[in-house]
Amino acid sequence: MKAAFSRALWIARITFLEAIRQRFFAFLFVLGAALVLASGAVRVFDFGHSELKFIADFGFGGLFLFGSILGVVMTAQLFFAEIENRTALTLLAKPLSRGEFLAGKFLGAWAVLGVFVAVLALLLAAMLGWRAAELTQLAAERRLSPPELDFAGLGLYALLQWLRLGVVVAMVLAVAAAARTFLFAVVVGALAVLAGQLQWLSQELLLKPAEAGLAHAGLWLLTHLLPNLQQFNLGDALVLAPHQVADGTLPWVFASGLAYVGAFLALATFLFRRREI
Amino acid sequence: MTLGPAIEVRRLTKDFRVGLKGLKLRAVDDLSLSIPRGQVFGLLGPNGCGKSTTLKVVLGLVPATAGEVTILGQPSATAAARARTGFLPEAPYFHKFLSGRELVRYCAHLSGVPAERVEAAVDEAVALVDMTAAAGRLVGTYSKGMLQRIGLAQAIVHDPELVILDEPTAGVDPVGAAAIGRIIEAMRARGKTVVLCSHLLGQVEQVCDRVAIMDKGRLVLEGAVDEVLERRDRHVLTVDDLTPAALAAAETALVAHGARLGSVTHPRRSLEELFRELVTGSRDA
Repeated sequence: MKAAFSRALWIARITFLEAIRQRFFAFLFVLGAALVLASGAVRVFDFGHSELKFIADFGFGGLFLFGSILGVVMTAQLFFAEIENRTALTLLAKPLSRGEFLAGKFLGAWAVLGVFVAVLALLLAAMLGWRAAELTQLAAERRLSPPELDFAGLGLYALLQWLRLGVVVAMVLAVAAAARTFLFAVVVGALAVLAGQLQWLSQELLLKPAEAGLAHAGLWLLTHLLPNLQQFNLGDALVLAPHQVADGTLPWVFASGLAYVGAFLALATFLFRRREI
Repeated sequence: MTLGPAIEVRRLTKDFRVGLKGLKLRAVDDLSLSIPRGQVFGLLGPNGCGKSTTLKVVLGLVPATAGEVTILGQPSATAAARARTGFLPEAPYFHKFLSGRELVRYCAHLSGVPAERVEAAVDEAVALVDMTAAAGRLVGTYSKGMLQRIGLAQAIVHDPELVILDEPTAGVDPVGAAAIGRIIEAMRARGKTVVLCSHLLGQVEQVCDRVAIMDKGRLVLEGAVDEVLERRDRHVLTVDDLTPAALAAAETALVAHGARLGSVTHPRRSLEELFRELVTGSRDA
């Protein structure tokens, strides 16, 4: 078990090194960081909403959008690079199981996304902290209550986003394990993420009385097999309005996220076990 | 107790599905083969004859359609069977951002070399393939010959009992090919079993103890090199200072004994021998 973990970590280490050398990663990383930093400059267009919420929404949006793109495209790219460049031929001829190989790919890609989330969350914390300090001073001058901001909540939110991206990576690996081409893996992976993000729609439709049919069965499958990625979006409640998250919500979200990661990795291993290399 | 063969292939068949209709393409057809331990075994055949597919099935990289394969007595699809096997694929490609030493170290960890032994094992493997001086350079800067040699190092870093080499001399100049030949001989001297797929028939003849020839997925010949190459119905005499008179006398004597002189030619050295003789000391570095 220890040896298997060590081998998976070595695959992860090389996957991480390969990923951070990709221009695509650098491009999205810079774009995400620029979006967070730009929130400070465009905060005047907050349309009457709280300035801090406006800045936070920019950051949350950057994390969600660029993190998701990175999670889908980078994971598929890292997987297919091993297959198409035939490095997998050398690796899988070693006493390395296909499950260890996929676990290593997952950990490497997830580590890259961890760096992405950590840096963007730190930038967002800096932007929020800087503006919150100014607003607190203004509020004191006008004898108003200072704005609420919870940095620990922001840390928790970043962790949740990292877990959400972990689910995305595991899901894309499962698709890639069965896919023949990189493009197919990216398109289906992106659709799966979109379906997971919009799952509340299918849940609402399921609640409506309808005749049993293929569409209903499809909705049922979609709702029960795909993760509800929307459940990770607790940013407002965690960062701007602390103590508003219901008891048991966070443990449930963390547990279900980890369970989906495990389930998708198991599915990926099953699909990959007899693939011709 | 006698040890079994290094590789045992029993009635192996491998079909690939091709195209949208899923037409069946038979790459390996009812192949049975036994590769003894401690020898260099040449697996030969034209392109597309099923050599590489056979090796991939042996290494568990491709599932067999039918038949059984064991490596060192264990089913080949298991990771445990591959623990004592090293593999150099055809036209190997490695992560270009790693140095040669980092690549071999990475493979040592994946191959189960104990952590405290890794550095010594890497040094040993890199030295055996004569890459010590270039091991610090990035793999992306290596020539084809150097890539093959560092590929060999990653294949043998865990001191495997069985080494499988798929076209190790493809794209390598004669000097580099000769160096790879010497490495194979060194592995045989250390008691390893080497399976060699190559189109360099001269080298195969030189380094292999046994050969098998495949064509259209089937085994057409298998045996010891000396046995399969020897023509027992013909003889070669090498004579120094042969004069026309001596030749005429020899021919008369042969006819008198019921034999017939087939041809008289001068022995030739191979182009490879001549090349190696002239280009001494020139190597990739």
